[in-house]
Amino acid sequence: MEAAVVFKDLEWRYEHRKSFALNGINLEIKKNDFIGVVGANEHGKTTLVSAISGLVPHSYNGIYKGSVDVFGERVFDSDALQLATNVGIVFSDPEAQFTAMTVEEELAFGLENMGFDLSKIKERIDWAAEITLIQDLLDKSPYDISGGQKQRVAIACVLAMNPPIIIMDEPTSMIDPLGKNLIFDILRRLKEAGEHTLIVVEHNVEQLAPLADKMLLMYEGLVDRYLPTREFFSDPDYLQNRGVLAPESTEFSQWLISEGALPAITDLPLDLAGGIEATRQALKKR
Amino acid sequence: MKNLITVQELDFVYPDGTPALFDINLEVGEKEFIALIGQNGSGKTTFSKCLNGLFKPTKGNVFVDDLDTRDKGIIKQLVTKVGYVFQNPDHQLFNRNVWSEIAYGPKNIGLSKDDVKERVIEAAQVAGVHEGIFDTHPYFLDKGLRQRVAIASILAMRPKTIIVDEPTTGQDVRQSIEVMNFLQHLREEGHTIIIITHEMRIVADYAERTVVLGQGRKLLDGPTREIFAQPDILEQTFVEPPQITQLGQALVKKGLPNDVLTVEEMKAAFKK
Repeated sequence: MEAAVVFKDLEWRYEHRKSFALNGINLEIKKNDFIGVVGANEHGKTTLVSAISGLVPHSYNGIYKGSVDVFGERVFDSDALQLATNVGIVFSDPEAQFTAMTVEEELAFGLENMGFDLSKIKERIDWAAEITLIQDLLDKSPYDISGGQKQRVAIACVLAMNPPIIIMDEPTSMIDPLGKNLIFDILRRLKEAGEHTLIVVEHNVEQLAPLADKMLLMYEGLVDRYLPTREFFSDPDYLQNRGVLAPESTEFSQWLISEGALPAITDLPLDLAGGIEATRQALKKR
Repeated sequence: MKNLITVQELDFVYPDGTPALFDINLEVGEKEFIALIGQNGSGKTTFSKCLNGLFKPTKGNVFVDDLDTRDKGIIKQLVTKVGYVFQNPDHQLFNRNVWSEIAYGPKNIGLSKDDVKERVIEAAQVAGVHEGIFDTHPYFLDKGLRQRVAIASILAMRPKTIIVDEPTTGQDVRQSIEVMNFLQHLREEGHTIIIITHEMRIVADYAERTVVLGQGRKLLDGPTREIFAQPDILEQTFVEPPQITQLGQALVKKGLPNDVLTVEEMKAAFKK
């Protein structure tokens, strides 16, 4: 499969900081993979995704060594248009990116800047609004809606541009449980459509794990682990030492395997339903 | 045991006519650790603002240390009884440096300069705010530290009860454990802690008592273990027990308990 993103020995130090935020990243992200990014705060998660979106180095001062390629184009040498065409990013605070008076204008903003004609703009807005369930909000002010709705609008803005790579940096950290579920529903639909490379930074591992193809653990500015999701969670103690908790169903199922209550070959469950099934089998054997 | 807070048949209606709370009764004792849970809009924040006197009951009563929160001019006394830490510390921090932030409350209730100084130093120490950052603008601190400054500014008023809105939002696992252990420590020092949260793992690990609100009503109130054993009622306010609790509940017929709170407890139950 084609590579969407390739890091080669990337080092980055923000201006006025003593240490490097990224310490030599080598990483390849395959096209249309869903990557979950986890790790303790201040260990480089946001900087890593910023190096893909181009915010690093283009919006910050600092020292940059090595390279990042996005679909073969060097991020360091790319202009804003190239970057915006390839990569869309959603942050945890959606309000920070709003500028328009209505949700619809907000959605149209990027498309107008790209020079699309009106019918194309309408088509894109309708599509993005449908996936994110914000059709009823198009006439509203983006400041007049709930936090969860704002975040769905922010995601719709990115989807409307239809970049092949979509990054979400802690998209649910400021949202209540119902709103969180809706965001993960959107991610599920995008994954099922299979037309985007999705890179999601999230502390909410219980909802992230069942969706991610691979998980990436950042630690001290390095990619500490980058593995298929089941393999990634097969060592909960290691992860806990790095400040990451496995989903409780996964942690318990892994324990059942380590106790011999389940055969080692069992596909490690990543969600509650899988955990229930694994435990049911273990209880039968007991 | 003496009640710190007594809520009797509390109704609250916003000035624009929106009813928010209905017939709530609650007693809060000394050295409790309580979680207040329920979906957004269930009334958690409104209710907590009734506890510190920011909102006055529309009907019914709220007593804090025998003070009626409805009395005129009572706020100055109430702020020394019930402290409220905002979800976003930035909504609370407004002074130009850490020292003035923590000193603001004590100054405002008219304490002498020496008393203010004593309060600031004591609160900063308890909250883990180093003297080295007293001159720093709060916005230059990371979120964990800003939250500690926010908590210190509340502690400086020496309230018996501290309400913390979403203490772990946006924090990673280690930071969450740190702030929760700190709240646990305050509780051991004699405070009553009330957290408002959506993180059920945090509730399971720290809160002995849980109060569930749904559509402005108190749905459940009791030991956390018993609360999470009632998923049907929790569902009304869109709260799910921790995943491991749900796993046990799905397999009750196979002999697993319906009220484990942690993976460690589940391991022990499985071994039986």
